[in-house]
Amino acid sequence: MNDLLADFIAETREMLEASGGELVAWEADPADRARLDTIFRFVHTVKGNCGFFDFPRLAGLSHAAEDALADCRAGRRDPDQQLVTAVLAIIDRIALMIDAIEAGENLDSFGPEGGDEALIAALDACSDTALSVQLDVALDAAGSPFHAPAEAVPGTGEDQTAPARRSETAGAAAQGQRTIRLPVELLDRVMSGVSDMVLARNDLAHRLRQAGNQPTIDGPFERLTTILSDVRDAITRMRMQRIETLFGALPRLIRDLSAELGKQVMVDLDGGDVELDREMIETIRDPLTHILRNAIDHGIEAPSARLAQGKREIGLIAIAARQSGNTIAIVISDDGRGLDEERIAAKAVQTGLITAAERAAMPRDKILNLIFEPGFSTAETVSNVSGRGVGLDVVRQNLEKVGGTIKVSSAPGEGTLFSLQIPLTLSIIAGLTVEVGGHRFAIPQSYVEEIVQASARALEFTRMGETALVTFRGNRVPCLMLGEVLGVTSCEIAASEPTLVMLRLASGDLFALAVEGIHNHGDLVVKPLAPAVMRTGLYAGSTLLDDGQPVLLLDVANIAAQAQLVSDTRARVLTPLDEETATTANALRAMLFTDFTGRRCAMRLELVQRIETAPVTAIDRSAARPRVVIDGMILPLVGLPDAPLTTPRVRLLRLSDGACELLYAVREVEDAVELTEMLHPVPEDPLAEAVTLIGGVPVTLVDAHELFARHGEPPVAADRPRCVLPEGEWARTILAPLVASAGYVVVPEDMADESAIGIIFEDVYEVAEALGRPLPARVIRLRDQPEAPPGSQSVYRYDREALLAALAAANRNPARTPIGEAA
Amino acid sequence: MTGELLVVARIAGRRCALGALDVKSVIEIGTITPVPRAPAWISGITALRSQALTVIDCRRALGLAEADWPTDHRAVVVADGGHSYALMVDSIEDITTAEGEAGQVPGGFGAEWSRVASGMIETLAGPALMLDLAALLAGPEVARHEFEAAV
Repeated sequence: MNDLLADFIAETREMLEASGGELVAWEADPADRARLDTIFRFVHTVKGNCGFFDFPRLAGLSHAAEDALADCRAGRRDPDQQLVTAVLAIIDRIALMIDAIEAGENLDSFGPEGGDEALIAALDACSDTALSVQLDVALDAAGSPFHAPAEAVPGTGEDQTAPARRSETAGAAAQGQRTIRLPVELLDRVMSGVSDMVLARNDLAHRLRQAGNQPTIDGPFERLTTILSDVRDAITRMRMQRIETLFGALPRLIRDLSAELGKQVMVDLDGGDVELDREMIETIRDPLTHILRNAIDHGIEAPSARLAQGKREIGLIAIAARQSGNTIAIVISDDGRGLDEERIAAKAVQTGLITAAERAAMPRDKILNLIFEPGFSTAETVSNVSGRGVGLDVVRQNLEKVGGTIKVSSAPGEGTLFSLQIPLTLSIIAGLTVEVGGHRFAIPQSYVEEIVQASARALEFTRMGETALVTFRGNRVPCLMLGEVLGVTSCEIAASEPTLVMLRLASGDLFALAVEGIHNHGDLVVKPLAPAVMRTGLYAGSTLLDDGQPVLLLDVANIAAQAQLVSDTRARVLTPLDEETATTANALRAMLFTDFTGRRCAMRLELVQRIETAPVTAIDRSAARPRVVIDGMILPLVGLPDAPLTTPRVRLLRLSDGACELLYAVREVEDAVELTEMLHPVPEDPLAEAVTLIGGVPVTLVDAHELFARHGEPPVAADRPRCVLPEGEWARTILAPLVASAGYVVVPEDMADESAIGIIFEDVYEVAEALGRPLPARVIRLRDQPEAPPGSQSVYRYDREALLAALAAANRNPARTPIGEAA
Repeated sequence: MTGELLVVARIAGRRCALGALDVKSVIEIGTITPVPRAPAWISGITALRSQALTVIDCRRALGLAEADWPTDHRAVVVADGGHSYALMVDSIEDITTAEGEAGQVPGGFGAEWSRVASGMIETLAGPALMLDLAALLAGPEVARHEFEAAV
């Protein structure tokens, strides 16, 4: 029974959390049927489950809410604001009661038995047709299968049907999963065991690589790897929970608070898929709630005040989570009035936190961060929302208890940004290994936006005083030299050709980190570092590489903060989205290249999938339209010179319009450029969209529409064409490799189907034809003499060119074709 | 007679003792990955199976110059506050039993040594300086800060 009760509580909680967001969405649009259904299911399930236990008050509440919602579903009643509020009140009461039940308390603590009546009455009172509704409800309750009276449930068939119905409607997500409880230490032990196993595997993999190919070992090792990664995923998930579970409740919280305070607030959640230790989620729940309360109470202005300042009426609170090494960064920002430096300073002086002299010497950010000091609270009037005697000092204490930190920054009139760093004591993250000055360091992959390798000139690397800047996608981005940050001397050659790792912080700021080389990336097991090393503020942990060497994981966020690269207010949210897309749309980007006629051309960058390098042998020019084989696909090819190719390899731009692919042969690929100059149309050349200037030199922009209209075709023969060879040693040893290298699969005769191309000796063919034996639909006949007898459709067996051409021709031609003369 | 087991090692030419319960193992030290910008007494980190150990140069952790005494290729692995450290010492001499409690000597042990030593201890192998692990791992900066604070 106790287990049952625990399950009931857990399930109800889960549904409460899941429906938190739904409730708010429903309120925004009470007519939304899907939301209504979700909430209905919730109260219905609670009511059904109450039947198993003796919770008459819980049953009564859920029953009443269910009835009201059932009316809405049946169209007898329109959901309005009052109804939503009443239903929310009931759901809150249910949540409180669940808490009380779990704590083993008596539900009487919620007041006398009749205390719920007011809530239930609110459901009806808000309806215009209260009386008729109640009648309807009474009638409906008797008839509808959804309204099985609670007392009829225990021990009857309802046991089975109630959960079954739920699974039908709520889907797999809400279906009760079987669970067990485990001590956390046990999980920790298993976790670290698996982490060690991963490292042992990596070590083994490294040794195997050194020892060379060993087929007998490689197979089982691969299997071990797969199993291990599965186990690791499962184990990791045991302790981890998506931060979504925490975020899920926030829209509701913000809605309630803003309604209470007469403000309008929109919430923007990002990074809900970041996973965090379950315990850690519980730890940050209260601090996060507190910051949100503060933001709504003190940060966001009243709608009228916002309008007066030229802001949008609705305030915006953005919450973003990012994983970064063994810490999670959570950034909470609002676009409210910002923190008042003077008032904070005055208050701090008044309460004796600092002296007036100290204040005068303090920089702004130091003053702002005084709000975390014990005994500090600026609220002039204590409201019931944020003035609960719990200050930000408690928030900071709670976070520091688990090894986290909190910082605040703010711009007056623009908003406030709280950034929380929460550690993951043990975690496996994807990371990148970089090198500088002979040392290797790891960077969490989650920060890495892009890796840029270019000459300093191409990046417009400049020094502004002590600060270095690079140009990335048309923006000047601050650049940190990792060697300088760490005080490691880096070699000169590498410095002139730096590799830049573009890093995006949780606050949205972008910066470049110049390193000497990128090694590899992979999963890293992050272990904590000794406090003395952590105090450098540069490292977030250590990890072992495949070869067993320990490397340090860089604390990207802190390095950026030390270099003061984190902007005071958030960049990501304050920029209106439409503006952002507009700027990217305005900047027309193109791939600059020289074609085989020596003309400088540009191709719109969106079209270019990638740059391929194909051997000349992969190109088939025998037909009217040249084609090329890339990755087993035969694709149309344009842009080839009329003369035969002189180089063994050709650079090709792989273009795609979404459905069709096309390759464009080029002599030289130059660079990706931005088209800033005017585009002049060229009506006389249909294949040119326009002529424009790039760096003062005219460049033809290829007309992609015309190109695809003329040459585009969906990729064909994704499966490689098959070919049946004649019997005999010669075919096996001499013909087969040639056919295979041309991209055909050689199959034995008994496995050949209709589509296979048959290669047959002329004499065999003649005999078969004479006897009327079945022959392949597409056939190539080989003859032994170099000279063709008159009228022969055969190919000399050592005429490589003709043979390949015949194969290509046969492959294009589904019907039986006499081949040979073509050569 | 307490009979506490001690690991006796030589640091900067002096005989020192560590509680054997604090000592996890004695390892051959492999490649040390340096930690740029870390205090000088942290030589770097090294791997022990899947663990990363912080390598402490005991001579520098005491605040002494390193050049005068060469260190052994072996290191003492200790754990403190959930982290594991490898202590680089001149040499590891013995494992022995304490004969009595650690006591002070008139005049102290000198500024550097007094900070990390809890007293002199008599062992079967002769007298040794009993080390306070936490103080040793705090590094020489702590002493300096305390000194500055006192001034």
